[in-house]
Amino acid sequence: MLSRVADSVFWMARYMERTDKILRALRTSYIASQDEMQDFNWQLWVDGLSAKSSDSIQVSNYQEALNHLILSNQNDASVLANIVRARENARSVQDYITKEVWQGINEYYHLIRDSKTEDLLLKNDPVTAFDQLLRESVLFYGTVDITMNRGEGYIFISIGKYIERVIRSLDILELQMLEIEKGGNEAMHWKYLLYSLSGYEFHTKHYKNALHMDEVIQQVFLDVQFPHSILYSLTQVERYFKRLEDISLPEYFREMEFLLGRALSNLRYNTRRHNDSVEVKGWILETRSEVKAISQKLATLYFGYSQ
Amino acid sequence: MSFAGFLSEYQVRPKVWDEMYEAGDIRSHYQVFFDSLSQSTSAEFTLKDELAKKLFMNQGITFTVYSDGEGIEKIFPFDIIPRIITAAEWEHIESGIKQRIRALNIFLRDIYHDQFIIKDGIIPAALMHSCPGFLREMVGVDVPFDIYTHISGIDLIRDGDGSFYVLEDNLRTPSGVSYMLENRNMTYRIFPGLLPRNNVRSVKDYPDLLLKNLLGLANRQKSEPTVVMLTPGIYNSAYFEHTTLARLMGIDLVEGRDLVVDNAKVYMKTTAGLKQVDVIYRRVDDEFLDPLIFNRESILGVSGIYYAYRMGNVAIVNAPGNGVADDKAVYPYVPNMIKYYLNEEPILKTVPTYSMNDPEHFSEVFSKIESMVIKKTNESGGYGMLMGHAVTEQEVAAYKLEVEKNPRHFIAQPIISLSSVPCFLKGKVQPRHVDLRPFALYGPQGIEIVPGGLTRVALREGSLVVNSSQGGGSKDTWVLGS
Repeated sequence: MLSRVADSVFWMARYMERTDKILRALRTSYIASQDEMQDFNWQLWVDGLSAKSSDSIQVSNYQEALNHLILSNQNDASVLANIVRARENARSVQDYITKEVWQGINEYYHLIRDSKTEDLLLKNDPVTAFDQLLRESVLFYGTVDITMNRGEGYIFISIGKYIERVIRSLDILELQMLEIEKGGNEAMHWKYLLYSLSGYEFHTKHYKNALHMDEVIQQVFLDVQFPHSILYSLTQVERYFKRLEDISLPEYFREMEFLLGRALSNLRYNTRRHNDSVEVKGWILETRSEVKAISQKLATLYFGYSQ
Repeated sequence: MSFAGFLSEYQVRPKVWDEMYEAGDIRSHYQVFFDSLSQSTSAEFTLKDELAKKLFMNQGITFTVYSDGEGIEKIFPFDIIPRIITAAEWEHIESGIKQRIRALNIFLRDIYHDQFIIKDGIIPAALMHSCPGFLREMVGVDVPFDIYTHISGIDLIRDGDGSFYVLEDNLRTPSGVSYMLENRNMTYRIFPGLLPRNNVRSVKDYPDLLLKNLLGLANRQKSEPTVVMLTPGIYNSAYFEHTTLARLMGIDLVEGRDLVVDNAKVYMKTTAGLKQVDVIYRRVDDEFLDPLIFNRESILGVSGIYYAYRMGNVAIVNAPGNGVADDKAVYPYVPNMIKYYLNEEPILKTVPTYSMNDPEHFSEVFSKIESMVIKKTNESGGYGMLMGHAVTEQEVAAYKLEVEKNPRHFIAQPIISLSSVPCFLKGKVQPRHVDLRPFALYGPQGIEIVPGGLTRVALREGSLVVNSSQGGGSKDTWVLGS
C-alpha cells in the first residue's frame, strides 16, 4: 500500500480513537460534576486535554469547558478538530477505506457540526449529546470491522487505534491522579477513572479490594481481560504488526519487532509498586514516551518520513 | 398539484426543442415515465428531491465552485427528472462520435509526425503552431497503439430543429463520468421500478471497460500490470470523481509525491518499498505533469516522468499534447479532418465557427453581437465567454478590447438555443436548458461509448451556461433499449 495512504489511515484511526476516549472521559466528568457538592474542577480538564498551553483557556462553568473541549474551532485539540482531521485523512484515502466507512465519518462530522448537538450540549441535556456522538463512534468501529477486508489498511487502522488507546488511557489516568493530589476523594476519583475507561463494572466483579490504588493500577496497566488496559492494547499492536511481516522489508520489520517486544517486556516484567504514586507517575511517563517512540519509528520506516 | 397538472403551466420557450414536450403533447419516449408519475403530487416530488439531497450529502458527493463565496463543500446540484434519449437517436450519436474520435486520433498522430494535413493545405501551419496545446515535446513520439485520446467527452447540444450538434471536444482530462454513475444510483432510489419499466440501458460497465483498456496499454510482459490514477489531490474540484473511479476500478489513487522516477522507470512509494508503475491515468494537466520539462513550479507532477514516457516504460492516459485537437480554433476543421483521413461525410453536425483572427469575421460578429457567443479557444469551465444576448454595451466594448489584443485566441459562434428538459425546481416543473456529454473510451480493441453520459443543466432560468463550475447541475441520462 502507498506509504502516504498507510500514514493517512493510521492517523484517521488515531484521531477516531482519540475522539472516542475524550468523549467518554468528558461524559463521565460531566456526570461527576452534577453529583458533587463542591465545584467540579473543569479547569484541570481543559488544561489537561490541551496539546499545548496556547490551546487552553480559562473556564468557569461546564458550558464553557464543554464548548472549548468539544465544539470549539479555536481549540486545536477539540473533539471537532479531531473529527475534522479524521475526515480529511479519510477523504484522501477513500479508495482504501470502504464507502461505508467514509460515509460513517462524514455523518459523524455533520452531527457534531449540527446546531442541535450544540443546543443539547450547552443548553439542554449534555448526556444525550454525548450518547449521540458516542454512537457514531461505535458505528465507526463496527463498520470498519464488518466492511473492511483484512489487508494492510485494516492492519494500520488497528495499530493506530491501539497506540492511541495506550496514550489516552495514560493521559486520563494521569489527570485523575492529579485530581486526587489536589485533595479529592481517592475512591471517588478511581471510580470516575474506571468509568471513563468503561472499566468500572469489570473492576467491581474482579477485584476484591475494589477502588484501591493497587488494584486500579493493576487493572489499568496490566489486566489483559480489560480492553482499555495498557498491556492489552500494546499486545494488540504487536499482534497486528506481526501480520505485516510478509510485506515488510526484513530489516524494518525486525527493528519494529524489537521496540514492541521491549515495551511489552517492560510492562510485564516491571517491579514498580502499584500503590506508590511517585513510581506510578514515573511508569506513566516512561510508557507513554516509549509508545510515542514506537509510533515515530513506524512513521519513519513504513510511512516514508525522514528521521 | 399533480405532475399532469404541472404541464398545463409548463412554458416551453419559442424556437426551443423541448425534450419531453411538443406542441401540447408528451413525446412518445417520455410517455411511460409520464404515465407512471402523472398522479404524483408536488409534495411527493419534493420528498424525492430531499431524499436525493440527503443521499448526496451523506456520500460526500460535492463539487468545488471556484468563484463562490461559500465554503469548499457544495452538493453537486442534481435534478430528479431524467433526460431521456431514444435508441435511434443514440445510434446516430454513437456512430457520429466514433467517427469523430477516429479522425481526431489520426489527426493527432499526423500532427505529431509527418503533418500531411498541413502539407496538403487542409489546416494552416500557423494555426497549429500557435496552439498552446501543441507540445513540441510530443513531436516524433510514438504512442502505444497510436491512441492519443483514450478517454474523451464530446459535448453535444440539440438545436431548435431537433438535430444534435457537437459543441466541443474534450480530449485532455474530461470530467463528469462519476456523476453519470452516481446519478443513476440516485434514480433507482427515488424512482423505484421505473428504470426496468422504461428499458433503460445500463451505465455501470464504464469502470470495467476503462480498466480493461488501461491494462491493455501496459508495455511489460506481465500478467498483472500496475495501473494507477494520478490526482492533483483533495483540493481539486473533481477529487470526488478521482476517488470514485479509482475505487470502482480497484486501482491505486496516487499523487505526484507518491511517485518517483529512477532509471527511466516510474515507481510508487509503498510500505514495502518501491513498486514499478506501468500505466498512469492522469487527471493532472499537461503543463503540470513534469517540472523538468514543462512548468518548473509544478508540485503536482513527477520529475522525470516524461523521460520514462518517451522511453516507453510507462503509458500515460490521455497522451500529452491532445490540446492541439480540442482547441476551439481547430474545432471548425474537424469535418475536414473526417473527410481527409476517413473519406467520409461527418455524421454529427458542427456549429458554424468564426475565427476572430479573420478581420472580416471580426467585424461581422461584432455587428450582430446579440446573437453571437464569443469564447476563448483554450479555456474550459465556461469561463471567459461573452454571451451576446445577455450583456451590456460596456461589457461588449471591454471584451472587444480583449479580443483585439489577442484575436487568435477567440472564436465566435451563433448562439444556439439549447434544448430544454423539465426540471423540478422550487416545487414546480419548469424547463431548463441542457447539453449532453457522452464519454467515449478508445482502447486497443476499439472505441466504446457507454449509453448515456452526463446531462448538464443550466439551473438559472434562461441561462445557457451548463458548466458545473458556474452553478450548473446535472440529470440522470436514460438511453432506451430498442
